[in-house]
Amino acid sequence: MATHTPPIDTSAIEKPEFSASSITLGGMAHKIWGNYVARTLIQAVITIWLVITFIFFLVRLMPGNPVDVYIDYIINQENLSYEEAYSRAASQFQFDPDANVITQYVEYMGQLAQGDLGESITSTGTKVLDQIWRYLPWTLFSVGLGLLFSFVLGVLLGIIMAYYRNSPLDVVLSLFSSILSAVPNYIWGLAILIIFGVQLQWFAIGDFRGTYASDISVGFTPEFIFSVLKHAMLPVIVYITGALGTWTLTMRNSTISVLGEDYVNVARARGLSQARIVTAYVGRNAALPMFTLLAISIGFIIGGSVIIEELFVYKGLGSFLFRSIATRDYTSMQGVLLVIVISVVFSNLLADLLYSRLDPRVRLGEDD
Amino acid sequence: MTSTMEMMPEKPPRKDSDIPIIGTLVLTVTVFFKALRRNKVGMVGFIGLVFFALMSLLGPGLVPFDDDVKLDQIGAPPGSQVKILVQSANVDRFRTLDDLQGQTVGLIDRSGGESLVEEYFAGFPEDNPPFEVETTRFSSGRGIPEAIEGLANGEVDALIIWSDNITDYITSNRDLAQGDQFSDLVVSGSLGKRYLLGTDTQGRDIFSHIVNGGSSLIFVALLAGFFSTAVAVLLGSMAALVGGIPDRLLVSAANFVLTIPQFPVLVVLALLIGSQLNNPFLLAGLIAALSWPVLMRAVRAQVLSLREREFVEAAQALGLGMPHIILREILPNMMSFVAINFIFAVTSAMYQQIGLIFLGMAPINDYTWGVMLFFGRTRGTLFSPDSMSMVLSPVIAIALFQVCMVLFARSLEEMFDPRLRSS
Repeated sequence: MATHTPPIDTSAIEKPEFSASSITLGGMAHKIWGNYVARTLIQAVITIWLVITFIFFLVRLMPGNPVDVYIDYIINQENLSYEEAYSRAASQFQFDPDANVITQYVEYMGQLAQGDLGESITSTGTKVLDQIWRYLPWTLFSVGLGLLFSFVLGVLLGIIMAYYRNSPLDVVLSLFSSILSAVPNYIWGLAILIIFGVQLQWFAIGDFRGTYASDISVGFTPEFIFSVLKHAMLPVIVYITGALGTWTLTMRNSTISVLGEDYVNVARARGLSQARIVTAYVGRNAALPMFTLLAISIGFIIGGSVIIEELFVYKGLGSFLFRSIATRDYTSMQGVLLVIVISVVFSNLLADLLYSRLDPRVRLGEDD
Repeated sequence: MTSTMEMMPEKPPRKDSDIPIIGTLVLTVTVFFKALRRNKVGMVGFIGLVFFALMSLLGPGLVPFDDDVKLDQIGAPPGSQVKILVQSANVDRFRTLDDLQGQTVGLIDRSGGESLVEEYFAGFPEDNPPFEVETTRFSSGRGIPEAIEGLANGEVDALIIWSDNITDYITSNRDLAQGDQFSDLVVSGSLGKRYLLGTDTQGRDIFSHIVNGGSSLIFVALLAGFFSTAVAVLLGSMAALVGGIPDRLLVSAANFVLTIPQFPVLVVLALLIGSQLNNPFLLAGLIAALSWPVLMRAVRAQVLSLREREFVEAAQALGLGMPHIILREILPNMMSFVAINFIFAVTSAMYQQIGLIFLGMAPINDYTWGVMLFFGRTRGTLFSPDSMSMVLSPVIAIALFQVCMVLFARSLEEMFDPRLRSS
C-alpha cells in the first residue's frame, strides 16, 4: 500500500488544514500521487473482475436454465416428447447447459478480455453488446435527467431551507421533503398512474408506453424529440419525486452543520459579504458530501430503474435486465450487470476525484 | 450465579448501581416524550407507528382475513353496502331485511347474489327461510332491467342490490325504455356489511386484506433493518477501533458488497432461492446481506471522528481504559445515530421487499400489500377506475407506513442533533 516514490513538488497544492493526521497522510499521498491513478485503475479492474466472477457463478447457480425453460415451453405448447423437445432446443440454442461451469467461465473471461459480451442465449444471433447499446441510452437519458433535476433543485432548496431554518417555509418544505423521500419511487409511479391516468384521465396510459411513438421515424426532427420527451416524462417525474426529498434534506442538514462552524462565524466577523460567505464558505463545504452521494447514485442508475421501467413499460436497460433474468438469459444478464458494476466502480472513482478537488483537506491515496 | 443470589440479601442494596439504570431509563423515556410533544411532526409519525403496530398485532383478530371468493361481488367500489330497492308505495313497509319476512325478494346474481343474505339466512332454521328468493341473472347486462321489470310486475316485493354501481344506474334512470319503471323506484336505507374499501378481483374484502397484509412485511423489514444495523455497527466500530489490516479488510469487504448491484442481484438471488424465501428470516437476511455496507462505513467514520473528540481525548489522558472509552464515551454518543439509521434501514428493506414482490420475484405465501400491488398490476385492475381500490389501498398503506417511519426518524434526528434542533 505505502509505495514510496521520490517527493514531488507540493507547493502548487494548497496546504492541508490543521489536523496533524491529515498533514502526514496528505504528505504521504503527495509522494505516491505519481502512481495513484495507475494504482486506482488496477484496483478498479480487480474489483470489477471480482464482482463479475461472483455474479457469473451466482447466475449459474440459479435453478432452471434457459434451455429447460424453453423445453418446458415447447412440451406444453406442441405436445412433444422430452427427447424431441430437447433436440429441438439444442439445435436452437448455442448454449450447452451440461458444459462444465469452469470451462464456461474461462471461455467467458476470454471473450470479455476481447471486449466481446457474447450472444444472447434466448434470441440466437443477437449480440449482447448491441442490445446494451440499444437500451442503455434510454435509461441514461431518463434516469440522468431525473437525477440532474432532483440534485440541482435539492441543493438549492436545501441551502434556502437551512438559511431560513425554523421559518414556516422551512417547516413546510421539510415535511414535504420527508414525505417525498419516504415513499418508494414505484409507489409514486403507481399513485401517478392511478390518480392522474386512470381516475382524472389527464392522459391515456397507453400513449406513454415505450420510449417513443412507433409511427415516428427516428431522426433529429421536432416530432421525434417531442415524442421521446413525452414518453420519458412519467419515469423522469417519478425519478425526481423519488430522489428530491433526500437531496433536499441532506443538503439542508449539511448546510446547517456548516453554518455552525467557527470559520463561518469568523468569516462573518471579518465582514465578508453574504454572497461570498454563501458560495465560498457555506455552499462549498456543505455541498462536499453531496457530490460523493451524487457520484455514488450515478452507479445506481441502471439498478434503480428496473421496477420503474417495468411499471411504465419503458424499454430501457432496466427492463431489459429484468426480462433477461426472467428468461434466464445468462449472457444478457451478465452483460447488463457488468455495465452496472463498471458504472458503480467508476462513479465511485469519480466521487473520490471530485472530493479531493473540492476539499483540499482530503488527499487522494488516503484511505477511504 | 447461585452464590451471588445467596449473597444478595446480606448486602445492603447498592443504590448507585441498580437504581440509576432504571432511573436513567425512566428519565430517557420522559425526556423523549417531552421532546416529542414539542415536535409535532415527530408526534404524528410516532402515533402513526403505534397505529400500525396495533393494526399488525390486533387487526387480524378484529378483522379476519377475507379469503372467501365471491364471484358475484367482484370489483365493488369502496363503501358498497347492501340496499333494498322497492316501489315507492312500499317504502314504509320495507326498511330492513326483517320487514321482508314472508315476501319474495329479488337478487341480481353476479352483482350481489345469494351470498348477500347468506349471513342473514344463517340465523334461521333451514326449513323456514324468512323469504323466498328469486334470482335474476346479471349476464349480458339484462339482469338489472329484468329484475326491475319483475319488481314492477309485482313478481318480487323488493330487490336487494349490492353494488353502488347498480344504485347509480338505477337512480340516474339511464335506461329510457324503462323510464317509468325506474322513476317509481326508491332505494331504501343501507344495511348489512359495508365494504369500506370495496372488493378485489375475486370479490374479497379489500379492507380485511389491508388490515392483515402489513404485519409480515413489517416483520421482515424490521428483521432486515435489525440484521443490517447490527452487522454495520459491529463491523464499523470494530474497523475503526482496531485499525490496521482488519480495518482495511473490512473496508474492502464493504466496498466489494457496495459494488454489487443491489436490487438486480437481490432479484437474481430471490429466483435462486425460490420457495424457501417464504422464510422471513431468510428474506430479511438476504436483504441485510446486501445493504449493510453504507451504514458500516458511516459508523466507522462516526467512531473515527468520536475518537478524536475532546471528551475522548480527555478520557484517554485520564488513563481510562479502552472498554470504558467504547462503552461510556463512544457508544452513548452514537446511540441516536444508530437508532435513526435502524429506522432508515427498515424503510429501505420495505422498499426492496415490496419491489421484489411487485415484480413477482418473491414467492407469494402471505397476501401482503405487495402481493395486492402485484395482482393489481397483473390482473389489470390498475387500469380500470372501478377496481383501482385494489391497488390504491395498498399504495396508500405502504406510503403512510413509510412516511410515519421517516417522520419519526427525522424528528429523532432533530432531537438528538443539537445543531439541527429547533430553537
